Amino acid sequence: MFTNVKRSFRRRDQEVLALDDVSFEVGEKEFVAIVGPSGCGKTTLLRMAAGLDFPTSGSVRVGDREVSGPGPDRAVVFQQFALFPWKTVEENIAFGLRCRGIDADARSRIVASYVELMGLQGYERAYPQQLSGGMQQRVAIARSYALDPDVLLMDEPFGALDAQTRVVMQEELIKLCRVNPRTALFITHSVEEAVYLADRVVVLTRRPGRIREILDIASVRRREGWDTYERIEEVMDLESFVHLRTRIWRLLRERQEDAAPAGIAVKSA
Amino acid sequence: MHDPKGAAAPAASTGRLRRFRFALAAIVPLLVLWYVLTSVTHTISPGRFPSPNDVLQAARQISRGNGYAGGTLAAQVWQSSKLVLMGFAVAVGTGAPLGLLMGWSRRAEALLNPAFLLVRPIPPLAWIPLAILWFGLGDGAKIFVIWFAAFVPALINSYTGVRNIDPTLVAAARVHGASRLQLVTHVLIPGSMPMIFTGLRLSMQASWTTLVAAELVGAIFGLGHVLIVASLDIYPGMILYAMVWVGIMGALMTKALALLERRAIPWRG
Repeated sequence: MFTNVKRSFRRRDQEVLALDDVSFEVGEKEFVAIVGPSGCGKTTLLRMAAGLDFPTSGSVRVGDREVSGPGPDRAVVFQQFALFPWKTVEENIAFGLRCRGIDADARSRIVASYVELMGLQGYERAYPQQLSGGMQQRVAIARSYALDPDVLLMDEPFGALDAQTRVVMQEELIKLCRVNPRTALFITHSVEEAVYLADRVVVLTRRPGRIREILDIASVRRREGWDTYERIEEVMDLESFVHLRTRIWRLLRERQEDAAPAGIAVKSA
Repeated sequence: MHDPKGAAAPAASTGRLRRFRFALAAIVPLLVLWYVLTSVTHTISPGRFPSPNDVLQAARQISRGNGYAGGTLAAQVWQSSKLVLMGFAVAVGTGAPLGLLMGWSRRAEALLNPAFLLVRPIPPLAWIPLAILWFGLGDGAKIFVIWFAAFVPALINSYTGVRNIDPTLVAAARVHGASRLQLVTHVLIPGSMPMIFTGLRLSMQASWTTLVAAELVGAIFGLGHVLIVASLDIYPGMILYAMVWVGIMGALMTKALALLERRAIPWRG
């Protein structure tokens, strides 16, 4: 999906390299999480996959096509929900369908099914600001899922939620992905979240973002039977989970210490 | 928030009643003071400020027969209101779309902004002499001057409205398949609606201010004309009565805008 992607920005007549030579692939129906320190360019990677940003060099492909802009095969869930405040829950979920010119009957059928799936019954006519953060993000996920995209792109979708709501949403996302598997790219700065949700975790270094390591979680998950546990805290207690989490933390920390002087130099210049 | 209908309605009605009582408490003593100072103690001479009785007399005169200064009150009020509404409509009809365009397109902004910056510092009233030369003392001149006065707030506020739209919402619309037209109708216009209404309120005020000034300078009809004729006749009762009607009409139209705003922006509150 990503091959030799580089992205630099001009800031006050200075070229700042944000991403350097990033290559990885997300398999069909695979859930890949990207973790990295803030400013490592992980959101930029996701925006490139969405077609909202473009690499300075290298290429981003979805399927066998180069990404040239937003497309119906990819949907994005944003950290700040990005629901339209002037639209009701129903209208928000229906938005993408409406843009695609799907007729009203089919639209309301699809919307109703996602309202039910995401537990939003009774809130169909509410405006987003009348809902809690967790409910708003459910609406945003429903809006993306309703388009039936091949690829789901999620940019720290639970980052703005409180800890308890976050855990509930993580459990629900796991269930949703089991019922309705999609190719997913998931950005987060939470190591636990990445290990809990993903099949593979891509660890990025501090700016300029490079791939530190890619860890295979799916094989551990299968071997240790994580999916047999209902609750996130049970999985998080397992030795295999703790081991992976510690490993990622170490990877992140090592790199941070190496790269710190460079980061400071960029800022002061 | 969670039960907007049940809890909010009685609270709002008692709040309105209380506010009405406060308004009475502020106005009644003023009226009494006015009566006492002009008609009981004669502290204020009737040549400088009319007594309640003078105003009542003026009210009686202008509402009967040929009225005053060329027409009855109803005719004068209608004349002024008509011009305000027409000037306001022309100003908003041009200012708001131009503001939206300038907010959306950098190119339009670069093209229009210099002309706007040049015209803006000219006080609207400075256009009156030119307007009289072009359109005479008729309606056209007033509509023209109101247009200049009310155009600026309509434009600036709709421009600001577009600029303040969260870019994530635009990105969300794009990744869910919105076309350029859908971006305008589903995101741009509703997103800038609150600011557009702020602009409308300011435009409405500017329209009344400008109209009365224009009618003072050159008109054969209207509330401003009543004011200037009464001033030449040294008729304080009529001056005050005409002023009161300018106030009433301005307040009514502002109230009508507020009602319209609540219908146009149901998601707020």
